[in-house]
Amino acid sequence: MKKEDTVKLISAEGFEFIIDKKAAMVSQTIRNMLTSPGSFSETEHGRVSFPEISTTILEKICQYFHWSLQYASGKETEFHIEPELTLELMMAANYLHT
Amino acid sequence: MAMYIRIKRSKTTYFMQCDPSETIMDIKQKVSALIDQPVNDQRLTLMSTGEVLDDSKTLADQKVENDAVVALTLRKDDNEFEEVNIVRPVDFFKSGDAEGAGNW
Repeated sequence: MKKEDTVKLISAEGFEFIIDKKAAMVSQTIRNMLTSPGSFSETEHGRVSFPEISTTILEKICQYFHWSLQYASGKETEFHIEPELTLELMMAANYLHT
Repeated sequence: MAMYIRIKRSKTTYFMQCDPSETIMDIKQKVSALIDQPVNDQRLTLMSTGEVLDDSKTLADQKVENDAVVALTLRKDDNEFEEVNIVRPVDFFKSGDAEGAGNW
């Protein structure tokens, strides 16, 4: 995993999650940010801030991205979601088109 | 992708994709590509057991599983390694729920 192949996602509280671009592109919203022509500052610096997504939720989302890739490659496991995170996670998923 | 681990230090988390047959040295080399720190200045600790991971052994050997949290510590100027430092977010949902429950 090279530095250029990663993207940094930043939560509301300023926590940073560095993940593979392939994983981040499970989200259609992030895919658009990273691949659209024109100069999104996100595309150039490989960092995206989410001032409305809390750290706990953003970490769960990153875990989901990776789980999703594993699932697509045939490793069928369950993805566990704590009941108290459900609502916020759904709102974030809606925003991220995930 | 076979598995991933979460490498944490301070407020940063690296989601590292890897294979159970990779050694800790392999992982450290991947980390050094991201943070410009030589492998010798890195130490990885498995958080679930508190065990410092051995360079020559593989992830599978040391029971590092998918989604495991591994702490990254770096060598300080005095040649010692820093303490494990992982900042957690203040989880207001859980604490809020616990407090709110009494009010209903």
